[in-house]
Amino acid sequence: MFDDGTPIYRQIADQIKAEIMNGSLEPGGKVMSTNQYAAFYQINPATAQKAFRELVDEGVLYKQRGVGMFVADDARDRLAADFRERFFERVLAPLVREARQAGIPLTDIIDYLRASQDEAAAQTEKGALQ
Amino acid sequence: MSFTVNLRDVTLKYGDADALADVDLTLEAGKIYGLLGRNGAGKTSLLSLIAAFRRPTGGDVLVGGEPVWENAPVVSRVALVREGGDFDDADTVKDVLASGELRPSFDPDYAAKLADKFELPLKKKVRELSRGKRSVLAAVTGLAARAELTMFDEVHLGMDAPTRDAFYKELLAEYMDRPHTVVLSTHLIDEVANYLEEVVIVDRGRVLVHQPVETLQGRGATLTGAADRVDELTEGLELLAEQRLGGTKSATVAALDADLRARAAAAGVEIGPVGLQDLFIHLTNPDRNGA
Amino acid sequence: MSDLSLAARRYRLGLGMFTEGVKYFAGWIVAAVVLAFLVPFIIGQWADVSQSGWYHAANVGKICTAIVGGGFLYTMMPTMIAQGVTRRELATATGLFGLLWSAALGLVAIAGFLVEHAYYGLLDWTQGIDQDTPLPLESYGHAFEFAAHYPLVFALYFTGGALVSAAIYRSDSGWLVLIPVIPIGLALDDLLSSSEPWGPGWMVRFVTGLADDVDPWIGAVLTAAFIVLGAWITRRLILDSAIRAKQA
Repeated sequence: MFDDGTPIYRQIADQIKAEIMNGSLEPGGKVMSTNQYAAFYQINPATAQKAFRELVDEGVLYKQRGVGMFVADDARDRLAADFRERFFERVLAPLVREARQAGIPLTDIIDYLRASQDEAAAQTEKGALQ
Repeated sequence: MSFTVNLRDVTLKYGDADALADVDLTLEAGKIYGLLGRNGAGKTSLLSLIAAFRRPTGGDVLVGGEPVWENAPVVSRVALVREGGDFDDADTVKDVLASGELRPSFDPDYAAKLADKFELPLKKKVRELSRGKRSVLAAVTGLAARAELTMFDEVHLGMDAPTRDAFYKELLAEYMDRPHTVVLSTHLIDEVANYLEEVVIVDRGRVLVHQPVETLQGRGATLTGAADRVDELTEGLELLAEQRLGGTKSATVAALDADLRARAAAAGVEIGPVGLQDLFIHLTNPDRNGA
Repeated sequence: MSDLSLAARRYRLGLGMFTEGVKYFAGWIVAAVVLAFLVPFIIGQWADVSQSGWYHAANVGKICTAIVGGGFLYTMMPTMIAQGVTRRELATATGLFGLLWSAALGLVAIAGFLVEHAYYGLLDWTQGIDQDTPLPLESYGHAFEFAAHYPLVFALYFTGGALVSAAIYRSDSGWLVLIPVIPIGLALDDLLSSSEPWGPGWMVRFVTGLADDVDPWIGAVLTAAFIVLGAWITRRLILDSAIRAKQA
């Protein structure tokens, strides 16, 4: 379930963030409880709690006593900037580095990305027509 | 009302040999602890003192703030499940489960539910059970005791992987249903790591480490990246483990400081946490100098 | 409510040990009854029966009682402590078990002698006690007098068994207590049941105060004293015992 790379609570926090970004968690929506997370992932509830605490501190979630955890209204905006920054740092930087090691010119990568974007757009159009 | 555990300056001798020496340990109420240690390190001795199976040679053992020795209101709410359980082999499984009634908190319905779930043959005698089933019976008595402090000492022995998994799941469910203090003593460290909140490592009769799992895991790090860069970063450092695949290398160090973290980031080397088991092996290595 | 049940559980446990003990030995007790009445009947087909069969059965009961007292305590030390029972509670429960067991088996023994007296009377046999000087029990009163010491003698054997097993559980060299316990126990048993010259009519002499070579009340008092002392030592041993490590 978890990779070895990152502490579990951070992986859970990241996952909740991803769910907010891709829309499966709506602003104002209720998040599963710590115990539900713990049972689902088979982890100590304190670990899940730590993830929640981090998200509350970051203003992504807010807590309503006795009711549960909810997604902050501006969570997506807060995360978007974060995501952009992290995307460059975590995804693109290593990509560029590895491409250079493998001797792949940057233009090839750009071409590839363009092509796949066109393809994705064509798919969407086709889907819309049907 | 989960129980706290306090050991103050506790010593236990078997004859002249120290099984435990100058142990000071506090376990907070309502947490799941992992108790780790090599064979003969003193894990079972420690648990035996906490459950009043033995009396310490010196020092105090308090459970729920009270001396545990011969304290019926306390020990009736403490369960120590030893490897293979403590049963009369001539008893049937049903009799064993029924004897839980001696505890005020025992839950017979839960015991029956667990016996069904884990397919315990109620009419069989304990001596007719396989090792795995015997361990399951032990685990079930521990869970159904619904104690305020439950300790499992190598209870998984003989259980196959799916059974162990089901047991951990049940333990976690019971824990969330009814917060209480849990101590898991085991050699299958990585298997239980995610269930733990804190870890106590006992080594040669002393408490070597007592920390939250994440703090402990954060002590060390695994550096993964281009082999030459990893070698450069880890030069002169003590390695717990090394692995190489083509041009990529992964090296585990026991300690990670801010400087190394920064240099690794700059070199494009990834930093990951260390497996609890690797750290445990490192920390309890007898060749290790100092602490 | 739970604390109330906690205060009472030592007695529940003692009662439970008693019923388990009876259940466990029920087969043996039935077998002893059958044999004690059947064997004389078979012998009676060829010869005159002059010996009490029940006497032998009752004597086997003494050994059984020692085994029950010892065996139960030894097995239950680890299992009960593991169930969150204190040593004190286990000691009290064992004491209650011993009392109930000795009383119940004692009553069975007494009843057996009386029933046997009727049975032998019907067939015109002699209910004789097989001792150095054979002792015929000539009336119901006499049979009762002889049998009356059984509850005490069972308590004696129970205490002996429990004491030995507590000592062995407490320490590996605990079996050494056998050295004083066996001769003392047998001597007391002998003192109770076979003082000369009139045989074991100790109740009569106890009540009437008639002197004997050894006053039987001395036997009774000494036995009672040994039971109290033995029970006390057993309790001390239980309170001081560590639960043994499991063999790997």
